[in-house]
Amino acid sequence: MEQIVGALIVLPWIFAIAVFLSPNHRLRQILTFLSLPVLTYLAFKVWNSNLPFFVETPHWVETAVTVFDYLLLGYFLYQGIKFRSFLVSVLAVAQLFLLTWVLLILPHSATPPIYVDRLTSFMYLIVATVGTIICIYATKYMEQENLDRENRFVAILLWFLGVMNFAVSVNNIEWFFALFETTTLASYILIRFRWDEISVKNAIRALWMNQVGGIAILIGILFAVKYYNVYNFTDILKINATAISMIPLGFLSISALVKGAQMPFHKWLLGAMVAPTPVSAILHSATMVKIAPYLILRISPVIKGTLLAKLLITTTGFVFVAAGLLALTQDNFKRILAYSTISLLGLMMLTASMGSSVAILASLLLIFFHAVVKALLFLEAGIMEKEFHVKYIEEMRRLIEKAPITVFFIALGFMSMTIVPYGIFIAKWITLEEASNFISHGAYIASIIFITIGGVILTLLYFKVIGVISRKRGEFVSFKLEKLPFIYMFTTGLYVISTIVGSLFIAHFSTDFVNLVVKDITGEFANIKAESLTLITPVSQIYDWQILGAIILLMIVPVSAYFVYFKADRVYEYTCGENISLNIGTYNFSCISKIEPFIETIAVALFVLTLVLGGGLV
Amino acid sequence: MNLKKYRKKSPWILHYNTGSCNGCDVEILACLAPKYDLERFGVLNRGNPKQSDILLVTGPVTKRARERLIRLYMEMPEPKVVVAVGACACTGGVFRGMYNVENGVDKFIPVDVYVPGCAARPENIIDGVVRALEILEEKKKDLQLTRKCVGDIEYVLGKQLNRRKIVAEGIRRCYEDRRD
Amino acid sequence: MSKELSVVLTLLSPFIGGLVYGFERIVRARMQNRQGPPILQPFYDFFKLMDKRSIMIHSFHAFMGIMYLIGTWFSLYVLLSGGDILIAIFFHVLSLAFLVIGGFSVRSPYSVVGAMRELIHMLAYEPVFVLAAVGLYLVTGTFQVSELLKTDTVPILTLPLVFIAFLLSLPAVLKKSPFDIAEAHQEIIGGPEIEYSGKFYEAVYTAKWIEYVYAFFFVFLFAGGNYFLGAVLVVLSFFIVNLIDNATARVNFRQMVSFHWYILIPLVVVNLMLLALWRA
Repeated sequence: MEQIVGALIVLPWIFAIAVFLSPNHRLRQILTFLSLPVLTYLAFKVWNSNLPFFVETPHWVETAVTVFDYLLLGYFLYQGIKFRSFLVSVLAVAQLFLLTWVLLILPHSATPPIYVDRLTSFMYLIVATVGTIICIYATKYMEQENLDRENRFVAILLWFLGVMNFAVSVNNIEWFFALFETTTLASYILIRFRWDEISVKNAIRALWMNQVGGIAILIGILFAVKYYNVYNFTDILKINATAISMIPLGFLSISALVKGAQMPFHKWLLGAMVAPTPVSAILHSATMVKIAPYLILRISPVIKGTLLAKLLITTTGFVFVAAGLLALTQDNFKRILAYSTISLLGLMMLTASMGSSVAILASLLLIFFHAVVKALLFLEAGIMEKEFHVKYIEEMRRLIEKAPITVFFIALGFMSMTIVPYGIFIAKWITLEEASNFISHGAYIASIIFITIGGVILTLLYFKVIGVISRKRGEFVSFKLEKLPFIYMFTTGLYVISTIVGSLFIAHFSTDFVNLVVKDITGEFANIKAESLTLITPVSQIYDWQILGAIILLMIVPVSAYFVYFKADRVYEYTCGENISLNIGTYNFSCISKIEPFIETIAVALFVLTLVLGGGLV
Repeated sequence: MNLKKYRKKSPWILHYNTGSCNGCDVEILACLAPKYDLERFGVLNRGNPKQSDILLVTGPVTKRARERLIRLYMEMPEPKVVVAVGACACTGGVFRGMYNVENGVDKFIPVDVYVPGCAARPENIIDGVVRALEILEEKKKDLQLTRKCVGDIEYVLGKQLNRRKIVAEGIRRCYEDRRD
Repeated sequence: MSKELSVVLTLLSPFIGGLVYGFERIVRARMQNRQGPPILQPFYDFFKLMDKRSIMIHSFHAFMGIMYLIGTWFSLYVLLSGGDILIAIFFHVLSLAFLVIGGFSVRSPYSVVGAMRELIHMLAYEPVFVLAAVGLYLVTGTFQVSELLKTDTVPILTLPLVFIAFLLSLPAVLKKSPFDIAEAHQEIIGGPEIEYSGKFYEAVYTAKWIEYVYAFFFVFLFAGGNYFLGAVLVVLSFFIVNLIDNATARVNFRQMVSFHWYILIPLVVVNLMLLALWRA
C-alpha cells in the first residue's frame, strides 16, 4: 500500500515533468489523458485497501521537508522583495522565524508522518477524477491561447495535483504546513501565469493572504506542542478537547477559513480569475480551496459541540449568505462563479463544524458535488471565452440561439447547485434536518436561517444568469447544435454525466460510499439507509419517485424544450403597442453594493470572535 | 362540447384611450367600480391585449395613437369584439376634422358596437358591452385583420399568415396615405 | 393520508383550487360592497380561454408555461402524498423555476421584471416556510406530512407566533396585496404571465389555482391531527388573507423583503428558541 500512496503523490510530478519536456502537442495530450485512468485506478486501489493505515517514512524525508520549507519561504521572501511587496516580505520573515522556533521545540514523536484514511482516499478520488479532467481540458484551452507555454501550464497543473495528494495524506502538522504553503506557491505561479500587471498584482495578493493562513498553522503547532505536546492530527484527535485549551484548534480553523477564502480573506480567490480559466477551475473545484473543509473535517471530532464549532458555524453561515449577496451585484461570469464558490465553501465548513455524522456526510457530499459542478461551470466559462468570446453576462444575451449545448450544460450546472434532486440540495436538506435537532442553541437556529436564505439567494443568482442566456428573439430559425472541439465536449460531458448519475443514485452513493468516510472521521456511521433510490434519513426520507420525477422535469424538459414546436400565431412581445427596439438588461442589485463595507465589517468581527472566543484566547 | 357559450360568461376587457378627454374613461372605470360592478358578468379589466376579448376604445384616434391601436388590436387573439365608447370614438365627435385626428376608430379597425354619448353614460356602456357579448358569441375564430390590411394581404404575404408580418404590413399601409 | 386519497386530491386540486378562487372573488366583491361574479367564474374563464385562437411569442416560452402547471401539480402531489415538508417546499421552487425561466426567455420588459420579482418573492417567503417546517418538527418530532396528520399534539398551541408569521407570509406566496409585486397588474400587468395567452395562459392560470391548494394545505398542517381545527384555521386564514388583500396597497420589493426578514423571521425565531429552551 505504501508504494501506491507514494505513486499517487509522485506520479503527478513525473507526469508533470514528462509533459514539460515533451516536444509535441499531441504527445502532451496523450500523457495528460493517461493521468486520468492511472490516477483513478490508484485512488481506487487505495480506497479498496485496508484503511486506515500509517506510512513510515525514512529519516531523510524529514530533513528534505525541512530544507524544502526553508527554500520555499526563501522564495516567498525573494518574491516579496522582487515585486516590492512589503506584506509578502514581512510575512515570509515572520514565517521563517516561527518555523525555526517550531523546529527547535518540536518533540520527538513516534507517530508516522503519513496517515491514509477514508477521508484522504476520498480526496484522492476527487483529485484523480475531477482534477485530471481539468488538465485534459487545459491542453486544448492552451492550444487556443498560447501553444508555446502549454507544456509549462499543464505541467504546473499536474504537479499541483501531486501536491494536493501529498497535502491530504500527511499527519504531521509541520509537514502539513509545508504542503499548505506549496499549494500557495502553486496557486501563486498559476495566477501570475499571464505575467501582465494585474495578474502579478492578484498573485501577490493571493500569496500574502495564504501566508496569513500559514502563520496561523505555525502558531497552532507552537501552542499544540506547548499544551498537548503533540503535533500530529491523529494524536490531537485522541485528546479530550473539552478539558484543555482550544487555542491550537482555533488557529488551525483560522488557517482553514483563510484557505477557504472566507470573508474578509475572499479577495484572493476573486483575483484568481485573471489567470487562464483552467486555473480557476482547478483552484475552485479539486484542489486548493478544498483543503479548507478538509482541515475542518480533520479536527471536527475534537471541536464538535464546543464554542469554537458554534462560532465557526455562525461565521461560515454568514459568509454563505454574504458571498451570495455580493455575487448578485457582479456581472462577470467567472466572478459570479467565484463568489458562489466562496459561499458554498462556507456551507461546507458549516456542515463540517457541526460535527455530527449526518452533518459530516452532508459536508462530504457537498465537497464532491461542488467539485464536479464547479469544474463543469468553469470549463463552460472557458469554452464561452474561447469559442463565443463572451465574459460578461450582458454579452451572454441570447446565447441559446448560438450555443444550445453550452446553455444546457450551464443551466444544468446552476440548477444542480440549488434545485431539488441534485447532490448539493440533498446535502443542504439533511443539514437543515440535522440542525433542527439542536435548535435550543442560537448557532444552530442561525445556521438554519443562513442555509435557507443563502440557498434562496444563490437560486436568485443562478436564475438571473440562466434567464439571460435563455432569452430568445423568436422561434429557432433552423435548430442546429454548435460544433465544439472534441476535448471540450468530452470533459464537460463527463462532468454532466457524473452529476446526473451521482444525483440519481444519491442514496446508494451516500450509504455505500460516503458513509464509510463518515465512519472514519466520527467513528460511527451516519444513520441513513438506502432502498433502491430512496434515501432514508433519521427523521425523514426522499423517495425514489421524487428524485426520478425531479430529474425528469429538469433533464428531459430542457432538452425537449429545444424541439417542441406549437402551431400558433407568432406575435410581438407586449410593449404597450409601441414599436421600440428592445434591449433587455439585467437587474444588478446596486442596492447591495452599498452595504458591502458593512458586510465586510461584520465578517471581520466574526473572524476575530472565532479566533478570540472560540480559540479561548480570553 | 360547445365552448361558445362560455365566451359570453367571461369577457375580459382591454381599455385603450386613443386621445380622448378622459370623460369616457372615467365612466368606464365607474362601470367597473362597486356602483355598477361589471365584474358580476365576469368582466375583468386585464390591461393586456393577449388575454382580452373586448377592446374598449375611447377617443378620436390621434395620429400618434393609430399605430398603437392597430398593434393592440392585432395582438388580441380571436374571437374578439371592439366597442367604440363615446362620440369621439364613433365619429370623431367635437374633434372631427381637426388636423391631428383621424375621425373615429372604424377607419382602422372593424367596430362591432358603437356607444354614443359625450361622455357615454355607464348604463350605455354596460348595454354596449352586453350587446358586444352577443356578437362575441357568434364570432368565428378566423384571423381578423385591421381595416387597412383587408384586401390583398394574403396575396402580399403568401398563404402563411404570421401575425408579426401582418402587423408590420398593416402599419406600413397606415402610413402610405399619411398627409403630414 | 392514504395513498388513494392523496392521488384523488391531487387530481381534483384544479377543481378545488378553482372553486376557492371563485369563492375568493365573491368574498372580495362583498368586502367591497359589490355583488361579484358567480362562484364558477374561474371555470368559465377556463373554458373561454380554451376557445381562444392561440398566439404566442415562441414555443420555448409557451412550453415553459405548460411545464409550470405540471411542476406545480407534481409539487402538490409531493406535499399531499405524505412526504417530507422541506422536500415539498423545495419542489415548489422547482415549479416556480419553470415560470421564471419562461418569463426570462422572452424579450418583454414586463415579463423579465416580473420573473425577477418572482425570485425576490421566493427570497422573502421561503425562509419563513422552512422555519415553520422546523417548528412543526420541533413540536411533533417528524418532517413527514403523513405522520404530522396523525399526531395528537396541536402545533398551533405551541407555535402561535410561527402561525402568525406564516399567515402574514401567505400573501407573498399567493401574490396578494400588499405583497403582489410579482404580478402587480396595474404596474407590470401580470409579470411573468403577461406574454401567455389562450391555451398557454390557461396552463398558468390553472397552476395558480393549484398553488391555492398548496398554500392552504400548509395552514392545515398547523392543526396536526385535529382535522376540524385544521378546517377552521384554513377558513380563517382564507378570510384574513383576503381582508389584508382588500385593505392594503402594494409595497415595493425592498419593503417586502425587509418585512419578511426583519419582522417575520425574528417572530418565528423567538417562538422556536423559547420553545426549544423550555423543552431542554
